[in-house]
Amino acid sequence: EVPPSCTRGCELCSEYNGCLKCMPKLFILLERNDIRQIGVCLASCPVGYFGVRNPDMNKCNKCRIENCEDCFSRNFCTKCKEGLYSHKGRCYPSCPEGFSATNGTTECTS
Amino acid sequence: MPQTWLLFPLLLAVAAPRGAQGSGLRHGGCPSGCRCEEDGARVRVDCSDLGLTALPANLSVRLAGNGLSHIHTGAFSGLEGLRVLMLQNNQLQQIPCEALQNLRNLQSFRLDANRIHSIPPGCFHSLVSLRHLWLDDNALTEVPIQALGELSSLQAVTLALNKICHIPDHAFATLSSLVVLHLHHNNIHSLGEKAFDGLWSLETLDLSYNNLVEFPVPIKALTNLKELGFHSNSIRSIPEKAFVGNPLLQMIFFYDNPIQIVGKSAFQHLPELRMLSLNGAAEVLEFPDLTGTKSLESLTITEARISSLPGSLCDQLPKLQALDLSYNLIQHLPSFSRCRTIQKIDLHHNAIQEVRAGTFQGLMELRALDLSWNRVQSVEPHAFADLPVLSKLDLSSNLLSSLPAAGLRGLTHLKLAGNDGLRELISAEDFPKLRVMEMPYAFQCCAFVGCERSQDPWYAEESEGHDLEDLLLELEEDFTSKQSVQCSPAPGPFRPCYHL
Amino acid sequence: KALIKVTPLRQEPTGKPITLEGVFAGMKGHAEGRLMQSHPLSLCNTSEDERQENIFISIVKLESPERQVPQCLPLLEKARLAMKRGAQAVIFDVTDDASAAVELRESLLNSGDYLLVVLVQAKDAEVLMGLVNRNEEATVRIETMSETPKWAHYD
Repeated sequence: EVPPSCTRGCELCSEYNGCLKCMPKLFILLERNDIRQIGVCLASCPVGYFGVRNPDMNKCNKCRIENCEDCFSRNFCTKCKEGLYSHKGRCYPSCPEGFSATNGTTECTS
Repeated sequence: MPQTWLLFPLLLAVAAPRGAQGSGLRHGGCPSGCRCEEDGARVRVDCSDLGLTALPANLSVRLAGNGLSHIHTGAFSGLEGLRVLMLQNNQLQQIPCEALQNLRNLQSFRLDANRIHSIPPGCFHSLVSLRHLWLDDNALTEVPIQALGELSSLQAVTLALNKICHIPDHAFATLSSLVVLHLHHNNIHSLGEKAFDGLWSLETLDLSYNNLVEFPVPIKALTNLKELGFHSNSIRSIPEKAFVGNPLLQMIFFYDNPIQIVGKSAFQHLPELRMLSLNGAAEVLEFPDLTGTKSLESLTITEARISSLPGSLCDQLPKLQALDLSYNLIQHLPSFSRCRTIQKIDLHHNAIQEVRAGTFQGLMELRALDLSWNRVQSVEPHAFADLPVLSKLDLSSNLLSSLPAAGLRGLTHLKLAGNDGLRELISAEDFPKLRVMEMPYAFQCCAFVGCERSQDPWYAEESEGHDLEDLLLELEEDFTSKQSVQCSPAPGPFRPCYHL
Repeated sequence: KALIKVTPLRQEPTGKPITLEGVFAGMKGHAEGRLMQSHPLSLCNTSEDERQENIFISIVKLESPERQVPQCLPLLEKARLAMKRGAQAVIFDVTDDASAAVELRESLLNSGDYLLVVLVQAKDAEVLMGLVNRNEEATVRIETMSETPKWAHYD
């Protein structure tokens, strides 16, 4: 039975820190809620975070690429903010020189 | 996990304009148990974490965290507009290749955390728009070359956490748009000489946590590479001109390798490289030639056997901010005065004998200088005169008999312990901002901490085997009126200041 | 010792702060800021916790070693990381991990860095973690507690 302060999928729960260790294959997200920061376990990371899998722990990391809404990894964006163009995993106000957006998409190709 | 079969035709809300014909949800309403929410022109239907063992009547794009072990051929029929398909965290041993046949607009496909051991050729044949593919945390024993080869639009793929042990020649030859390739946490012990040929757009390659014994020479084909990781392998040497094919490299992570030999020209001509860290390369006898690697901000070469430094060091590294050459055999120091942006210099555990006036002259940003554990016998009078922001100076465990105070008024940390010949008094006026001091003798602390101090907890005798309560009490300390300078060894009953 | 004065924001302005005690693990000093919990796993190299905008003091509840929570970094580095992210000071609740106090004290002793680290335990820790659990915003002020010397004058 998982104590109330931990979500489903938690393997090691703490009254104060929430989840400390998730079940295999799940990602731990350190969720900030005002002054609290607790661990929760998810099958996939929420939008704005990307999952990093490692043998000992899978973790959701914040996507910090400029003008990006969703990431594949620390340096590759999969979804740019509205109105921006994506090129090689980065987001631009317009396509770099030598590239253009194909038929109405926001993806720059040569 | 029981064998589960997909029985239902799948319906989905895709990027069709609201109210337009065939807006996707043919039967309307949310699949039981799923969560539906408006997302601009789409309806996002999320059925994650429901313990499903079979696909619901009208499918969501997100099927993560279920027990699916098989997906029916017609599962995605009618979903030509599907953009994102999430099948991670299931029990799939094979990819449902037939079910993918009409997904011409699929851009992101998650298959991570399943049990996939191989991918047949032709499986991804129709996924002409696929850009992002997750295959990490599966059971692949080799790179699915033909299957991946059909993904001409692929930009990012992870094959991490599998059981791949060799990358053959031309493994990714047709993936000319690939930007990110993760191969970490496999069992890769060898690479074909042309393993990475064809990856013209690749910017990030992660080979960490594998069993590589040789330097990954095939990276020379990656002319656009910006970030390379091969840490946590078993590589013993880095050859001459190792990165000659990668002029755009900004970051190289290669720690946790038993590297003993490094070619002198290995790190030349890397104008974008910011940080270089090499520890324990015991057979490195010379400082590397860093011609053309002019953007380096942090350089660490420790536990090697470098005995001298080139006079041109600062000319090669004009943007250097942190230099750590501790645990080498350096005897004489060149002038660092043209390293104008340097903030931190670690030279402890070397064989340095003297500090001349011009060695650290005019370093306007230098905050911390560690020369401890050397053989410094003399420091010229104005050696530290021109260091306006120096706050930490560690000269402990040397052969000093005196210390010139010129230029040291800004110090907050001064460490001179272990200089047995240094018996002179240090004047408090010369060091108005000191907070931490470690001196050769207790009487040298009297000027800073007054004489009637109680026992200083930092150096209280350790008593074994006491619990937290005792320990916290032991940390107790009284607070004297003098500025709060923590000076050791602290004067006390057996080391009085009275005669001063 | 460290004096920790806690003022819950929902308390009326005239209300006296709650006074708690802790111990400086290294340098003594003063600090003030909003109480902010840091999950032990958020202070690792791999995680990039948000850099908080406001002025805050981190509190970290250390779990008992038997629970084998992945350590990822020595406690000194965790404290350093918290302060690099803007914490004015770091409070460690060592109620369930007595060895943490020894580790922190020794590592801080040698580091010479200016890191304001306070250890709390038992009743004092319970009050602070109670605020965290109830998500009650509070301002924390850390001061140096002054006392008369305890050891007998040497004559």
